[in-house]
Amino acid sequence: MMESDTWEPKIVAFLCNWCSYAGADLAGTSRIQYPSNIRVVRVPCSGRIDPLFILASLQKGADGVLVSGCHPGDCHYLTGNYSARRKFAVLKSLLQYIGLEEGRVQFSWVSAAEGTRFAKVVEQVTARIKALGKSKKLVKEIPGG
Amino acid sequence: MTSMTSMTSMTSAIRANTRLLRKKRMESFLEALLQDGLVFAPVRKGEMLLFERIESARDAVLGQRNTKNSPKSALFPQTERLFAYRHHKEGLAIEAASTGDKERVLFGVHPCDARAHLLLDRVFGGSTEDPYYAEKRRKAIAISIACTHPDPSCFCLALGGGPCSQEGSDLLLLDLGDSYLVEAPSERGRLLLEDKSFEDADEESFDKAELIKRTAESSMQPAAPLWEKATDEGMEKPLDALFDDPLWNDLTESCLSCGICTYLCPTCHCFDISDEAGAVTGERIRTWDSCQFPLFTRQASGHNPRPSAKERFRQRIMHKFSHLPKNVNMTGCVGCGRCVTECPVNLDFREVLLALSKNEAT
Amino acid sequence: MSSVSSMSQLTREIRESARKLLRDGQVQVVIGFERGSLPLRSRPCFVRREEDIDRLVWDGCCETNLARYLPKRKEKAAIVAKGCDSRAIVELIKENQVHRDQIVIIGVPCNGMIDGLLIEAKMGRGSIVEDEGSAEKLILKRTNSEEILDRTDFLHEHCKACTHPDPVLYDVLVGQPSAEAAKDTFSDVEAFGARDEEGRWAYLVHEVGKCIRCYACRNACPLCYCPECFVDASQPRWVGKSTELSDTMVFHLIRAFHLAGRCVACGACERACPMGVDIRKLNRKLQKDVKDLFNHEAGMSLEEASPLADFRVDDPEQPMVDP
Repeated sequence: MMESDTWEPKIVAFLCNWCSYAGADLAGTSRIQYPSNIRVVRVPCSGRIDPLFILASLQKGADGVLVSGCHPGDCHYLTGNYSARRKFAVLKSLLQYIGLEEGRVQFSWVSAAEGTRFAKVVEQVTARIKALGKSKKLVKEIPGG
Repeated sequence: MTSMTSMTSMTSAIRANTRLLRKKRMESFLEALLQDGLVFAPVRKGEMLLFERIESARDAVLGQRNTKNSPKSALFPQTERLFAYRHHKEGLAIEAASTGDKERVLFGVHPCDARAHLLLDRVFGGSTEDPYYAEKRRKAIAISIACTHPDPSCFCLALGGGPCSQEGSDLLLLDLGDSYLVEAPSERGRLLLEDKSFEDADEESFDKAELIKRTAESSMQPAAPLWEKATDEGMEKPLDALFDDPLWNDLTESCLSCGICTYLCPTCHCFDISDEAGAVTGERIRTWDSCQFPLFTRQASGHNPRPSAKERFRQRIMHKFSHLPKNVNMTGCVGCGRCVTECPVNLDFREVLLALSKNEAT
Repeated sequence: MSSVSSMSQLTREIRESARKLLRDGQVQVVIGFERGSLPLRSRPCFVRREEDIDRLVWDGCCETNLARYLPKRKEKAAIVAKGCDSRAIVELIKENQVHRDQIVIIGVPCNGMIDGLLIEAKMGRGSIVEDEGSAEKLILKRTNSEEILDRTDFLHEHCKACTHPDPVLYDVLVGQPSAEAAKDTFSDVEAFGARDEEGRWAYLVHEVGKCIRCYACRNACPLCYCPECFVDASQPRWVGKSTELSDTMVFHLIRAFHLAGRCVACGACERACPMGVDIRKLNRKLQKDVKDLFNHEAGMSLEEASPLADFRVDDPEQPMVDP
């Protein structure tokens, strides 16, 4: 486990309770294999995601962040994911602009019925972040006295 | 105050502690200091002059206007680790931070900033010594450069200082053109003067120095007192009496409650302590804090005894000109002028004091 | 972009309006500018009595965004507003931080504010003892000499690129409207975006590294009026109090994000910053994105909702993971 070629990224996945989390659940109960790099954080709705969650994750050493919600039109709270869509668009653009590697922060729509799709999303995201390597740019350090 | 036996013996005493440093020797002198310890000096960063650690003598920029930030960060850094900790199976291991035993030279300091350290010494010293400050201070040497061309916004004279004041310095350099006249007001400074970089000063240098000093002092804006009816007793009593004066409301209305004045001030010293905790390891750090931030006095209940800029600004004035003189027998301001020039809304505390003093009940 | 009226004419007109408003009791306070205590500085002033009206001035140093003093104000106020200030007022009205009928806006067409640092670089610090910020010429006096400069050479960068010099909302308009300003092409954003990834990151690290967390940028901003700013929150604590780089980055990134679609790019943040941090780098990017993505420009309409407080069912889909 000490060699760098066996390094596995740690990815924080914010999944909305009603769709994406249920979709992940379905992948599990269907015994669909997907990379175990994600650490799931369940939220009520993708619209709950504050950009601070994403940046805090990167600060604490997450190599990548996935945010997944219901497909537009299917939000359990009707319009939460529409707000999320706008916020993600703006945040993603800003992070890319400042030179954060493209692919570290990703978004997806996965419904409760899409177990297979969820697995594929995780595969893609993990592969991308593994290729990017360990995240260094926003990791928090404290300078000594 | 030492008594003088005669003018001649005093003069020769001064001259004994005064030598000359040719400018062409400055770089090697600085390089030698860099060998022995940490050196902090004014550096140019873009359009700005900042007081920072240098690694090469060539980075030091001397004899310019004062740096944007003050040298206090060399003794009292904005972020400082107090200790680190780690959870083990056996318990908790704590590792105290240490500054090491390297000497720290504050080079190219302006006399106002050197005086400021004397105030910090009193606050961080005494019966409850701050070990983090004290450790650095004990190993610190201040090599100051007198101000031959004070800024119009400087008012050190009004606060008992001066462009050529020796207070707080171990060596004071006065620019004579191609050399510096170097005075050593402290024991540490006198030891430094023995270095081979220095040579004896001639009569001409002394005469030149006197002229430069007089010109520098007289070129400063007339040292208008900060309080209209200046008394020998200082401003404490009249300020205390004016605490509830409604004039404070008008005078402070534009204040943004940011931290510029406090963070750039060479005497301000408030700090906060917080823990940066991980799962297993962590650190306790202290960071600068500002009495101008609303959060400074907000209590857990939500009540804030200083709810607006007026209370906070007033507090800063009271602290510097009333509380500190009472508590440590020294005013908390050296007249460097940074709070005046850097305030985004040009809230000039000198004007505030003068306006209040005019309001003083007879 | 030049205004036909001279600075002294504008000063006269502002004082006239202010005097009338105070005298008639239409307002209890006039928020404007007065001469500062240093050369090339004018500063906010709050006039409540007629005898203080003559403190009010208008010149090339009136750079504070006075809209910052409107939220939570209980009294009726007149406010002197240049183009950018008036757009901030529009946003504040939209967000219910000030009522339209609580303020009387004295609009002033602006031909740009002087960057004191540029003057300092040219003339040397501390040498100026007096200035006259007139419409076209800048007269600077040293102790023994005088220099007349073309003010357009010494404007803030963001003033040079200003696309809305005239107030968009006002009750009284002094002076003459400016000539039509150029459209914003966001060429600065595109130029930066075209740089390589590491170059962009290095630039940001360099700029953010200068920040001393004094929060002057936030406090000078009229749209930063939250009773508790996220950076000060302790439960949970999002951002530490030190100048650690990633914390300071998060502060600037999230503050910019919170201002997306609301920031009117007045530049007050940059002008307030003592360390010369290029704060607007982020705000400009968000300004462009909000225009491209949602066809919105802050401060131009009292009706249009702020883009991040709004949505459309048919908003464009963004690049997503879509296997």
